[in-house]
This record gives sequence, C-alpha cells and structure tokens, in this order.
Amino acid sequence: MTGADAAPGRRMTMIEAINDALDVMLARDPMVVVLGEDVGYFGGVFRATAGLQAKHGRTRVFDTPISECGIIGVAVGMGAYGLRPVPEIQFADYIYPGLDQLVSEAARLRYRSAGEFTAPMTVRSPFGGGIFGGQTHSQSPEALFTHVAGIKTVVPSTPHDAKGLLIAAIEDNDPVIFFEPKRLYNGPFNGHYDEPAVPWSRHPDSHVPEGHYRIDLGTARVVRAGEAVTVLAYGTMVHVAREVAERQGIDAEVIDLRTLVPLDIAAIERSVRKTGRCMVVHEATRTGGFGAELAALVQERCFYALEAPVERVTGFDTPYPHSLEWAYFPGPVRIGEAFDRLIAA
Amino acid sequence: MSRHTFRLPDIGEGIAEAEIVAWHVAVGDVVAEDSPLADVMTDKATVEMESPVAGRVVEVAGEVGDRIAIGSPLVVIETGDGDGEGDREGEGAARILRQAQDERVLEHRAPAVTPEPSVTPNPGPVRAEPIELRAPTPHQSPPAQVTRVLASPAVRARAMDLGIDLARVRPGEDGRVRHGDLDRFIAYNAGGGFAPAGGRRADETVRVIGLRRRIAENMAASKRHIPHFSYVEEIDVTALEAMRGELNAAHATRGRLTLLPFLITAICRVVPDFPMINARYDDEAGVVTRHGAVHLGLATQTPGGLMVPVIRDAQSRNLWQLAQDITRLADAARGGTIAAADMTGSTLTVTSLGPLGGVATTPVINRPEVAIIGPNRIIERPMFVPDGLGGERLAKRKLMNLSISCDHRVVDGWDAASFVQAVRRLIETPSLLLVG
Repeated sequence: MTGADAAPGRRMTMIEAINDALDVMLARDPMVVVLGEDVGYFGGVFRATAGLQAKHGRTRVFDTPISECGIIGVAVGMGAYGLRPVPEIQFADYIYPGLDQLVSEAARLRYRSAGEFTAPMTVRSPFGGGIFGGQTHSQSPEALFTHVAGIKTVVPSTPHDAKGLLIAAIEDNDPVIFFEPKRLYNGPFNGHYDEPAVPWSRHPDSHVPEGHYRIDLGTARVVRAGEAVTVLAYGTMVHVAREVAERQGIDAEVIDLRTLVPLDIAAIERSVRKTGRCMVVHEATRTGGFGAELAALVQERCFYALEAPVERVTGFDTPYPHSLEWAYFPGPVRIGEAFDRLIAA
Repeated sequence: MSRHTFRLPDIGEGIAEAEIVAWHVAVGDVVAEDSPLADVMTDKATVEMESPVAGRVVEVAGEVGDRIAIGSPLVVIETGDGDGEGDREGEGAARILRQAQDERVLEHRAPAVTPEPSVTPNPGPVRAEPIELRAPTPHQSPPAQVTRVLASPAVRARAMDLGIDLARVRPGEDGRVRHGDLDRFIAYNAGGGFAPAGGRRADETVRVIGLRRRIAENMAASKRHIPHFSYVEEIDVTALEAMRGELNAAHATRGRLTLLPFLITAICRVVPDFPMINARYDDEAGVVTRHGAVHLGLATQTPGGLMVPVIRDAQSRNLWQLAQDITRLADAARGGTIAAADMTGSTLTVTSLGPLGGVATTPVINRPEVAIIGPNRIIERPMFVPDGLGGERLAKRKLMNLSISCDHRVVDGWDAASFVQAVRRLIETPSLLLVG
C-alpha cells in the first residue's frame, strides 16, 4: 500500500478509479468480461465503463437485456466455464431479481461441486443514499449479502481503495459483491448536504497509482487515529463520521472497514480495547443491519474493555424516504449526539 | 404519627460503610432535634450522628461493633405529626430493617453460625439495601439478591483485576460505580494493598552538556580504548579498624581518620614493587610511563557529577596529611572552587562509595591511567580464625572487598592479583603498614 501510494499515478474520481481498475483487468486477463445494462456502447449510467467497449471490443464489454436475474445467472455460468465476469447491476435497489442466482447458485457453487467449480465473479453495483434518489435509488442492502455464506462483500470509500479493492475482488475466485457508494462517485461527502460539494481532487486519497495494485480483502484502514471513541464505518459514512469528529473536536478513531466479509476483526479489537467506546454507523436500516453484527462482535471480544454500550447510528426501519431523506440519513446531528452519549457514559 | 428513617449519611471519604462505635439512644428514648444518636467510625474518623427530627426512637440498626452501609437506615424515629398511613409504611420499613439487621449480624459473626458455607468468614461486604418505605410484597426477594452493582464492563474488569469487590465501593449519585469511584476507593484503602506504586510521570529530556558531557566522553573513550578486567579480593580489616579507632581516640586534635588514608598508604607502599600499576599509557605513541611518584586521583561525587581531584605525591604524605588532603579536595570539588592544577596529572585513581560501596565494583579506568581501585563496603561476618591452640574457632570479623580494574594491554592479571595481595597483607597486618 505504501509502495503503491508512492508509485506514479494521478488524481481520479471514484468513477475514474473504477473505470481504471476495469481497464487494467481487461488488459491483463483475457478471461475478464464486463456485462450489464448500458455498460457497453453507452459506457454506464454513471460512466464507470466509459470507453471500455471501444478499447477492449464488444466481446469483452457488452450490454445485456434489462434482467438482473439473467445478468447474474449468465455470470455464474461464465465463471463455471473459466471466465472472470464483472457484471454491473445498475442500482443496488435492482439487485433483488438476481438474488436467487446469487444466493442459491453463485454462493454455493464451490460447496455444491466440492470445489470443482467456483463463481469467480464480481457484481458491481452503485448503492447508498444522499443523492435525492428516493426509495428506488438509495438503498443499502449489504446485510442481505453479509448474511449469505459464500459471498464476500466490499464497500470502498475512496478512489484509491476503490481501484485496489476492485482488482482484488476480480482476482478473487469466489463471488464478491462490490457496492460502490454512489454519493462518493464524484467527491467525498461530509454529511452537510447544504454545503458546496467538494471534488475528489482536493482529497489525498484520490491519488490513484497507475497499473495493477491490490488492496487485500479483509483489511480495514484507520482513517483517523484517536483515543476516546472507535467509529466503525464503511462507504459514505466514513467521511461523515470523520467530519463530525473533526468539527466536534472528538478524539475519535475512525475505522473504514472496506470489506464487511471478510471482516478485519483484529483491527476492530485493537481499537476498541484502546478506546473502550464504540459507535457503528451505516445508512442501512437498523434491525438486522450489519451494525448489529459489529455490535455483537465487539461485545463478544471486547466486553471488559467497554466503558459504554455500543452505539448504532443507522437509517430508520422504513423504506428510504424521498422528502425526509436528511432525517433518515445518519448525518452529523445523530452521529454527534451518539458521540456525546458515548463520552458521557 | 409518622416514622422518620434516619439513614447513615455520606461521610465523604469514598467509602461504602462505617462501624457503629457507640449508641447515645436506645429504643423507646425520646430525642430532640440535633441531639446525638450514635457515633460511627470509618477508617479515618469517628463522627457523631445527630437526629434531624424530634421524636421517639422505635428502631436502631444494630449493636456496637456492627458495620453498616452508607445510605442504609441507622435509626427509625416516630415523630408527632402525620397520619395512620405513615404508621403502616413505618411498620414495613421497620420489618425490613430488622431483616437487614439480622443478615448483617449473621455476616458479622463467626462462620459457625453462618448458614451458607459459601459466605466468607471475614466481615463480608456490607450491602446498601435500598429500603423502600412501602409494604413489602410477600414474594419479595431477600436483600442479598436484589442488590446489584451497576458498573460498565470496563470498571468491572478493572475491579476484578484489582481484587476489589464492587459492592464495597460507594457508587455515584445515580447508583453507578465509575472509574473515579474506584479511584477514590483505592486511594482511601491504600493500606489494603490496592494502590499501585505510583502514577505515570511525563518523560524528561535532559541535554548532556558541560561536566556531564565531559564525563560521558571520558567514560566512552575509556571503555572504547581500554580492554578492562576487574579483580576482587576479600580483606579482613578487623585489625586495621581497631587500630584506626585507637589512633582516632589518641590523636583527636589531628583530625579524624577514615579508612581511605590507610588504603592509600598501603597502595603507595606496594607500588614500587608493581610499577606497571602506577602508570600512564599513551596508546597512540605506544609508550607507558611508569611513574616514580603516586599522584592519586580521588573519584568524588559532586552535584554536577563525577570529578577526580588529585593528591599530589601521595607517597610522601602521612595518614593525617592524606586525611586533610582528601577533605580539602573533596570540599573544593563539591563547592566548585577547585583549582585546575588539583584536577590533572593523576597516575592512579581510587574510587570509594563509602557505605554505598556494595559487595563488588568494576570501576572504569581514568584514562590514560592503567588501573583504578575501589574499596567496597565493610561488613561484619563470622569467620574461622586460629584459636591459639592449633585449632580454629568462629569469630566476628570486619571484612571488606577490594576491587581493581586494569588495562589489560599493559597490566596482566598476575600483576593485578599480586598487587592486591600485597596491599591485603599490609592492611591485614597494620603494624607493617605504619612501621614498614
């Protein structure tokens, strides 16, 4: 990682970094194919695949019908036959028709065939809210996948990580769900939706090395060191939580989990044992959310280090609302209040 | 009529309980407001408890010698106001009080009367029973089971680690024990062995300058250039000490003799036979100068660090002159008034830590000298000595180890050992030292 940071590269948005990762892998491995709705000729609704079909040809990067079940099912078959498909589901909100293919086929293929076949596929999908997208363009369904044995779940938070994690995901021999926080595609988001947007070019983690590099799945990253409170977050919430800590002057250690499965439990333990206080933040609904799993792990492994109950700051148990988006979104106010409760305890 | 329950108040010392040491009232007594009820004692103080109300005492919380928890009832007083409802509540309180009191007594007495074998024989933790002024329901659990300490897992872990029963720690106002409450408990119970050795102090950065830098450079150069070896021998100084006592008694006006002048005299006597010891080695020129005079360096601790003033021509000084030189030079070095001439030219150095001398030392040579001698502490030990009848007997002897470090490039182990043995012979037979 440190070596990669020093390597030649340039500043990119997260979209550019994802495009670069796909470009690198298409050039490097003839088995890699990119498929999905509008990913070929048009270059993707968020431009993640722009220019890839022109460069790598229509047999490597191609459009599919509007059928998530078909896209994922085809990818499972491709993987079984030795390809390394990277299907895109245009929004995570539309992934459910393909859920059966993921849960019943992709996740189990290795086990069902006693290791003879695997599903070396990476399902890319924009996810999360904060873009005024209402209930059909804002969901965070990561917990549906972390609950399924056999699937890995990755959520990057920076251009640098997005490229390194996507390459590691494509090279992984098992199915990986790669959720891209779409609010972060074109700039980091600190949770203050009413303030001017900030471009990635001013963020240090937008420096993306050239060529091939990996960030191993299962490695968290401490994005802000601190002694008072541990914040466990991923995707957009990493930036929001960090901003609240800065503005409130809280000595919080913010950990970007980067991959939920496999989980870097050692990094979590190390931090919580030090701080004795822990907050989990995610956009997804609360009940059965991944935060519940994190809270359970923290109490199992760090119980006698805890000075306060683990706080969960999450979306509410409702469909993602349109008009009340900023009440639903676990923003600066709710995170700030959770900090106050943790520290007063 | 109503009943007032007077609870043992917070005496403000970070503790959870106190001992009743005297009763000023008994059941049935009429008390005035502010009149004394009981004396209670903590580890630090005895405090007189005064009645906040006037009335008649209907219950007391125990006997002299019982320990009760802060916040638990001490006395129940029937006051003149109120109605029948209050009476019923008072009955309930009194019943619970009796129950709690019985438990305490059981806890407090010998284990023989303790019904549960699991209860520890020592005075166990006294519980702070919250006594509700409400009639108890028939299925109410006994106080031992309803009491539960509120504390975070981290506080519990710390208490467990320290061996502290959290029930003995007085919680904050909201009933929770926090780290601060535990800190106060530890501070108050330091005698119980709960307190750590001390708090952590900030790191300190000290610049190595001036005298300290010179010491550092000299020591490093000595150790870098000189292959040191050390040799330690035990010397019986019983006779020398006896003689020293006699001389000090006989010649009080000449000043008091320490052991050092005798040692220096012995060294000066022996040096002519061991010229390789009293020398300076210019290792760049490849020349050792074996000196005809003993200019004796005296390693001296000063406020700024180690200094080595020099007794010039020590071989030509008698015991009292040496004693005066030692005092003068050490005072001048410590007072910062020493002349440069008194700090240079030593040919052999003695380093003595006096009573701090330890069992053995491996002193670092004062380069370019080739040897340094360190007398160690004198101790008394039983030794076998001739009994005058051809046998041996045990006798109390004064023994001192003598250490020497030498530059092995120019001093052999044989030389050093022989030199020390010669010094030893003189010291063990002090008449030879004086008349030699």
